[in-house]
Amino acid sequence: MPVSKPDSALLILGHGSTENPDSSQPCWDHAETIASSGQFGSVHCAFWKEEPSFRQIWPMIEEREVYLVPNFISEGYFTREVLPRELELTGPTTRRGDLVLHYCDPVGIHPAMTGLLTKRALEMLDGSARPEETSLIVVGHGTGLNEKSTEAIQTQVEAIRAGETPFARVLDAYMEEAPYVADWRMLTDTPNVVVVPFFIADGLHSYQDIPVLLGIESEPTAAASQREIFRQNPHRFGDRTLWYGSAIGTDPSLAGVIVDQVACFDEHYHP
Amino acid sequence: MSLADELAARLPAGTALEFGELRLSRLDDGRFEARHRDDADTAGGLEGIDSVRDLRDLAKSDADGGYRPLKTAPGLKRGWRTETGCPREFLARLDAIYPGLFAAWAAYAKGELPPVPLRRTLGRQTGMYRLANTIDDAMAERLRRELCDAGCLRQIAWPIDEGDPAETITAETGHLPLLCTEACTFAVSRARELAKVARSVSHGSRVTSAEKSTPHDP
Ligand code: SF4
Repeated sequence: MPVSKPDSALLILGHGSTENPDSSQPCWDHAETIASSGQFGSVHCAFWKEEPSFRQIWPMIEEREVYLVPNFISEGYFTREVLPRELELTGPTTRRGDLVLHYCDPVGIHPAMTGLLTKRALEMLDGSARPEETSLIVVGHGTGLNEKSTEAIQTQVEAIRAGETPFARVLDAYMEEAPYVADWRMLTDTPNVVVVPFFIADGLHSYQDIPVLLGIESEPTAAASQREIFRQNPHRFGDRTLWYGSAIGTDPSLAGVIVDQVACFDEHYHP
Repeated sequence: MSLADELAARLPAGTALEFGELRLSRLDDGRFEARHRDDADTAGGLEGIDSVRDLRDLAKSDADGGYRPLKTAPGLKRGWRTETGCPREFLARLDAIYPGLFAAWAAYAKGELPPVPLRRTLGRQTGMYRLANTIDDAMAERLRRELCDAGCLRQIAWPIDEGDPAETITAETGHLPLLCTEACTFAVSRARELAKVARSVSHGSRVTSAEKSTPHDP
């Protein structure tokens, strides 16, 4: 759903990382895609753990109306507490002097994510296996993080099942809570399995931890070969074949989801 | 006046400015150029970089390949130059290296970016960073010395306590200051570490290495 807001700015809000240089890349990639589409007067990114920070961003934005879209996978501590606090937001729309700020929903809870998971899984199979003989596992972190990411993944999985999924089975699994992704062979009964991490960016979880849990690496890989992990598909385990992909948040279609969250905001609140 | 126009106005044709480790110059034909200030006198052999994306990549790591999450830490790579005729594009390229720092200076110089005292920044934290505001003034001074003075090129405009006078930063001729009007995420993390050490000392316990590390928030 393209929008036309030449007098408004779009601000994409990300977590960022002081350790992982790839953490903010999807935000910048999506920002570049959206900026080149010309739908907004300007497109910016700001981060909790990188620069520009949430606190530094305001002098950079020259438009007086700003749509803020959290590039987060779920609602939770960040979208409800940290972002409103750091950005001084008071509700869906915040007026500060002549500045009008619209706080949209995070990308991960947009209904389009459901179709995106299926699209991505089919792209990974690339016609080399029949989806009806394949299980799709959407994997998340699970307990330990104060985010509703488990709930978000369950919602996605239920929505995929409720639609016309081409896959034999669709299930959720987690790194740190049951059903454990390490048990993928027991959780599925199809010859083929495709695993998509429900994360916003690639990082230690998707490069190192999940590959070890899946059994495609025996120990965490060295930093230099991190992206290689996604180029070795498929992996064969006896009569089972496994495909493993990068984080859903790195999919180029996320740029469209970010813009859609702006359109959803307008539809809902008619600012 | 837009920020890009303001940048152009501060850099008339034939002049140059130092901006952190950058040397910005306006060529006689009005085009803008930036390079590492240590390459100021290098006549040739600099790699031309002509996109925001490539400049952001350049600033991401130091000469040894180490990640630079704090963009104003010293250690920007040398050996390149970037040139454009468009002020808006030039500003975007500077923002790839020093995100928001020209805008911050422009706003501060107009009195539109009041510094935020350290205590207010720390006092706002929640979750695992709540502890950060238990540091005493000596620890706050230590944080400034060890983190900011030693590892960051910004000039600090924030005072420690509410009510303390904020230092007024002025631009020296030929310089655009890299300004810090509010303590960054590294400062908040460091305050938390200092607070943890202080707490464990006062409780008479030793800090384990696991406690010393700073896991992701929360
Ligand atoms: S608080 Fe400011 S001066 Fe200190 S390290 Fe962070 S950005 Fe640099």
